[in-house]
Amino acid sequence: MHGLGLPASLALHCAIVASFLFTWSHTLDIVDATPVVPVDLVTLADKTNVAPMTTEPPKPEEEQTPDAVEPQQKPPQPEEVAPAFDKTPIPKPPPKAQEKPKEKFDINNIMALLDKKKPAKTAEKGRNGPQTVKGIGAQDAMTADLRSLLQSQIYKCWSPPVGSPRPDQLTVEFQLYLRLDGTIAQPPKLTATGISSGDPFMRAAVEAARRAIYTCAPYRLPVERYGQWQSVIFVFDPRDMF
Amino acid sequence: MRRIGLILAAAMAFAVPASAALKVDVNQANIQPLPIAIPDFVAANPADTAVGENIAKVVSADLDRSGLFKPLDPKSFVEKIANIDSIPNFGSWRVITAQGLVTGQAVTQPDGRLRVDFRLWDVYGESQMTGKQYFTQPNNWRYVAHMISDAIYERITGEKGYFNTRIVFISESGPALARKKLLAVIDQDGANPLFLTTGSYIVLTPRFNPTAQMIAYMSYIGGKPRVYLFDLESGRQEKLGDFPNMTFSPRFSPDGNKVAMSLEKGGNSDVYVMDLRTRTSQRLTFDPGIDTAPSFSPDGRQITFESDRGGTQQVYIMNADGSNQHRISFGDGRYGTPVWSPRGDLIAFTKQHSGTFSIGVMHADGSGERILTNGWADEGPTWAPNGRVLMFTRGVRGGRGSHIWSVDITGRNERRVATPGDASDPAWSPLIQ
Repeated sequence: MHGLGLPASLALHCAIVASFLFTWSHTLDIVDATPVVPVDLVTLADKTNVAPMTTEPPKPEEEQTPDAVEPQQKPPQPEEVAPAFDKTPIPKPPPKAQEKPKEKFDINNIMALLDKKKPAKTAEKGRNGPQTVKGIGAQDAMTADLRSLLQSQIYKCWSPPVGSPRPDQLTVEFQLYLRLDGTIAQPPKLTATGISSGDPFMRAAVEAARRAIYTCAPYRLPVERYGQWQSVIFVFDPRDMF
Repeated sequence: MRRIGLILAAAMAFAVPASAALKVDVNQANIQPLPIAIPDFVAANPADTAVGENIAKVVSADLDRSGLFKPLDPKSFVEKIANIDSIPNFGSWRVITAQGLVTGQAVTQPDGRLRVDFRLWDVYGESQMTGKQYFTQPNNWRYVAHMISDAIYERITGEKGYFNTRIVFISESGPALARKKLLAVIDQDGANPLFLTTGSYIVLTPRFNPTAQMIAYMSYIGGKPRVYLFDLESGRQEKLGDFPNMTFSPRFSPDGNKVAMSLEKGGNSDVYVMDLRTRTSQRLTFDPGIDTAPSFSPDGRQITFESDRGGTQQVYIMNADGSNQHRISFGDGRYGTPVWSPRGDLIAFTKQHSGTFSIGVMHADGSGERILTNGWADEGPTWAPNGRVLMFTRGVRGGRGSHIWSVDITGRNERRVATPGDASDPAWSPLIQ
């Protein structure tokens, strides 16, 4: 039995070590696998309605020059500079292309400094912050909810004279300024009417609109967005009322 | 430094405003009557107190009946009006949700006449919208109240009022087989009923002339149906011509100088126009169908009428000389009793469809048909002088009489008119100035 015990013990130990190695390598494979990331699929509108914020640096102004719009077939040739006094060419070391004369800061010459266009240098020096650039569409999505809020309130207060013979002409436009608490800061200003405000039907429509503005105040709107609703233009259109 | 200033100025010039005005389209509304406060009119002496209270009540009832105003309960008033020449405390009227305020006073003058003043205030605008003064005999206080209602209505809605008007109609009483029909007149609010005939003969289809002093109607005096004229001031009546056959459905031209009517001959009725000054008549329709119920356009240039010349009863239009006759109603059912709106924009009619009679309106070209009432037997519309409200006859189910109802041209505010007993065939007078 002693003769078989040693080889049997070795074989058993080797088997145990091998089984551990196999298991560890398998575990490592799992750890290295790409984690599952949940992704929501959304559909973007063809034309965004919000002014986009961009982090890209503005394109160099050179791209907007006519040269950039109509690329030339040949690269521009360097200008030949004729010597002023000596017609005999004297070989000179070529001027350093990137060498620039040192400039002294002069507060009286600030206009000249500002006139210099160095977009590339700006891009090199640092990363631009977010800049608002013009988007596509009416760009009113950010205030659409405010409009809905105001509409839902003013609808309940507006009772225009119905049954007039020309309701499609009786549009009324009022501008008003609101305080932070939604109250009216100053008397609403009549900015437009469909027909002459001397017309009795038009006058009645104007007064009905003004009453609606007053009776609806104070308006309940998000205080943190006061800048977007401190000035409001209501366009009252009774053409569908009957 | 000057250059820096220029730079800053240039930068400010190109700066974007902090916020542009938020534009909001308002194209839905909550159509509600205007809350209005009408305190009792101030009386200069105790004898005028009742008049002041009564005028306020009549004005309040007029405006309430229009459906466009909601007179507030006087018990809710915070401020007591003691002097109409001082500016009200608008805040105390806003508290009770009043948007309009009427203040007034009634004073009997030394010469015995009644002087009535009123002011209409815009409670939110804190300004006077209108103010008027009337002198009249004390027993006319009710008409002054209606005139005040008209002034308020016109100022708020932009349209002429219709409160100082009268209704002529057929008052009915008695069993169905022995029905008594009287020619009667009431104020538009049902006050001051006046019976013009005794009931010894049947009267039908009364119509006011443009001055509201004369009524044309059809009567069976002597067993023969004829069109008669009744002068309200003198009480005198006269036969309109001596036609050999039946004449019916009279209606005045807008200038009051002509009457359009139907004349039946051998089972065929046609539209005629009679000049009241010369008493000469002109035939306008010549087809073998039944042409009847003519009504002038407000400019007097056209006439709408009903005819079955196309196989069914429909609404037609022609020029006042009878030319260019053409059909304008093409919906399902039958159309009759067309009446041109005083405003000129609509023609009201009776429509028979699926066993019911309804009142509707359409434009003069036949477009924009709208059915306003859904009674069981509504017929015979007549326009308020402002073209805004209609009255009509509504039959009671089972043939148990009929009443007069009114409805706004929007189809809202259906109300029964206060008549003494059963009533039919209403005709609205012009506005009495």
